[in-house]
Amino acid sequence: MSSVRVLPPGGGRTFRSGGGDTMIEVENLQKHYLVSEKEPGFVGSLRSFVRRRNRTVRAVDGVSFAIEAGEMVGFLGPNGAGKTTTLKMLSGLLHPTGGAVRVAGYTPRQRRSDFLKTITLVMGQKQQLIWDLPAYDSFLVNQAIYEIPDVRFKATMREFGEILDLEGILKKQVRKLSLGERMKCELAAALLHYPKVLFLDEPTIGLDINMQLRIREFIAAYNLRHQATVILTSHYMADVTALCRRIIVVDKGRIVFDGDLSALIERAAPGKIIRLQLSRPVPAARLAEYATVQRCEGLDIELLVPRGETTALAARLLADLPIADVTIEDPSIEEVIGQVFSGAHRALVPGPRALEPVPA
Amino acid sequence: MSALSHRRGTRVAAFANKARVLLATWFAHMIAYRAEIVIWTIGGCVPLIMMAVWIGQAQARGGRIDGYTAAGFASYFLAAWITQQMLVSWAVWELDRLIRMGELSPKLLRPLDPMWEQLAAHVAEKAVRVPLILIIAVAGMLLVPGARVTPDIAHVLVYILSVVLAFAIRFLIAYSLGLLAFWISQATALDELYYVVFTFAGGGFAPLTLYPAMAQAIVAWTPFPYLVYYPVRVLTGVSGRAEVLHVLLVQCLWLAAAWGLRSMLWRTGLRRYGAVGA
Repeated sequence: MSSVRVLPPGGGRTFRSGGGDTMIEVENLQKHYLVSEKEPGFVGSLRSFVRRRNRTVRAVDGVSFAIEAGEMVGFLGPNGAGKTTTLKMLSGLLHPTGGAVRVAGYTPRQRRSDFLKTITLVMGQKQQLIWDLPAYDSFLVNQAIYEIPDVRFKATMREFGEILDLEGILKKQVRKLSLGERMKCELAAALLHYPKVLFLDEPTIGLDINMQLRIREFIAAYNLRHQATVILTSHYMADVTALCRRIIVVDKGRIVFDGDLSALIERAAPGKIIRLQLSRPVPAARLAEYATVQRCEGLDIELLVPRGETTALAARLLADLPIADVTIEDPSIEEVIGQVFSGAHRALVPGPRALEPVPA
Repeated sequence: MSALSHRRGTRVAAFANKARVLLATWFAHMIAYRAEIVIWTIGGCVPLIMMAVWIGQAQARGGRIDGYTAAGFASYFLAAWITQQMLVSWAVWELDRLIRMGELSPKLLRPLDPMWEQLAAHVAEKAVRVPLILIIAVAGMLLVPGARVTPDIAHVLVYILSVVLAFAIRFLIAYSLGLLAFWISQATALDELYYVVFTFAGGGFAPLTLYPAMAQAIVAWTPFPYLVYYPVRVLTGVSGRAEVLHVLLVQCLWLAAAWGLRSMLWRTGLRRYGAVGA
């Protein structure tokens, strides 16, 4: 499968020293691990004691992209695709095996103070809050560590408190907070220093719909207000569709797609579904003259239509057939992404979401 | 004020602010753990047991062993107990957990060496522990005949200085042992070993002059006598001016060595952490 890659001009070798428009530049990034393998059980242990077998795992295997300041990019891929490993290299926790990374003009692995004050990485819900103390104490610690002036700290706490609804949460012991409450606090604590670059690894995992929505709104508001650059990974497609126009899909350590979300859907699923509710039965053979019949059960019909012809065909169907109701649907993003991962994106799978309802 | 000295002034203020907030926060944390601290304090009672053993020995052998009377032993082990209490560190356990469970990663994202937060936690814990130590020490002096610390305020001040240095050395050794978790999976086992060596070589089982000459010669080349034995002599008021100066000087040298060791292990350990998985 070909991929739509956005490479910086000149192949990306010439890095700007920050202040430019490009906030993140990644060129042929690689991370290989050596893992020792052991067969299960006692005999396996003995065997591995005598002769150790090592295997190189290419967690990230030649990834390149550039992200502009203020962009929000969704990082998608199955478990073990290399998403988290990439984010860890971008934030300086992991050292690349090969390739080059530049974030806001810094080399992440050097972990300079100015760099650390520019970025944040949120992963999981048990990160920086002190477990046995009220969450507010952890905020005070971060205020001191990031050298945030009192006036700004108070303004930030007001701002975050409003959007995230932290009222009454901050004075509770962290260990007594619910998962959602803790995640809100983690996120607020991670953004207290107004980072310009946000790496968010599954920020809504395990949260209910309302809480997901709230976190999503918070990220969107933060991006808008501070022109922050955001890379977001999520298993919830709604996170990605709500926040990111650009999607990077990784699989087995490589980029398989980089471009617009709408382009991804078009490429992976080049058709739409027209769902008909007939007022009286029509022979299937007659329906087949218009398009591929995917389902024909009494008065419920589903037709598979090439994307470009959808509107014209819907008009013809309405004119020719006894129709009570028509809806035109996109295949769901989940299905599309699933197909991209499996590499089999020729089949068209309908989804439950009606994107363009057409009145009969 | 020049721009440079202004910037320096701001940096000092920021540092003081970090120290203040970290200490206040970890003090609150330790208050939450006050019951545990009482238990840990009572748990570190090896010197008090040895005190009973040696007092019994001294009385059985006509009141004196190698210059130590029963009262001398009582004072020595009371001071040894106080000193060991001041050296308590759990840095190995903390680092072992941080490194093996990956909890170090979020700390590495912040522009502050995690060691300073650990140090603040230790200092805050001492603030909770010291009143407890004082109560038990006074009780010890009332209950055990002859158990005394020096009444000389100058000696007490020098003791405080030397016990602070001793704590700094112990903290950096513990921190360094903890950093070994970057390479091995059971750094905490090393701390158990450390405790045995420390108790023996520091003079926790007996005053060092009672050890065989060979053992004394070896022990002299380790930092351990400077962690317990010599500070104890200062607190019991038996060391002279020359000995005090010698002890403080050697403590500074061991502190520098421990600092160098921990810096080296931190640098190389981080490289490994970044290479094999954070």
